[in-house]
Amino acid sequence: MATQIVMDHSGDTRHHFDPTDARASAEARRRFETLTAAGFTAAVRTRPGDVRRLTAFDPQADETVFFPRLVGG
Amino acid sequence: MRPIKGRDYARLKLVRRLLRAMRAENTPEARSRRLLRDWLSAGQRAQFDAARNFDVTGSDSGKRYRICYGTAANIRELDRNGKEGIGWCFAPVGALVPGDVMLAQKIALETSEAATLSVANRVPLLPRVTH
Repeated sequence: MATQIVMDHSGDTRHHFDPTDARASAEARRRFETLTAAGFTAAVRTRPGDVRRLTAFDPQADETVFFPRLVGG
Repeated sequence: MRPIKGRDYARLKLVRRLLRAMRAENTPEARSRRLLRDWLSAGQRAQFDAARNFDVTGSDSGKRYRICYGTAANIRELDRNGKEGIGWCFAPVGALVPGDVMLAQKIALETSEAATLSVANRVPLLPRVTH
């Protein structure tokens, strides 16, 4: 199972999907594209503590985190 | 209704305590802290557990930054000796809880430092607020 974690006011909302299921994977890709188009940043862990930004949907990613656009405070 | 006494009362108290603990573990803040801890390196996690802050290295300049527990004005640039210097303020839009904000700040500084600081504001070095 892969997970897309979208940060929100509740902490986060998690979407689990089976990457081997074409339909579930297509839905996860749509979610990725919708969120990044809305300004969210997507990132994955490459190894413990190391992170990498994603600019395109990665069907192999176990866990992808999304956070909203950054602004100066 | 029959009053609850003795062993039944002790069991009831235990169940109540467990339910309270489960609720406390499921608050947005607690969930965000768990997510943050999962994404930290072992060293960052140890620092976070001990001091409620952790250090990251900027992806472009190699500078070190300290991300402190909080959601605003919670980042300090560190000098070569590890001394806290100027402060930076940036965060994701929306009402996110501290663990999520801190994870977003870590990812931003470790993957696109220059672009991140271009939207951030510098803040004067103020005494740190501890919770």
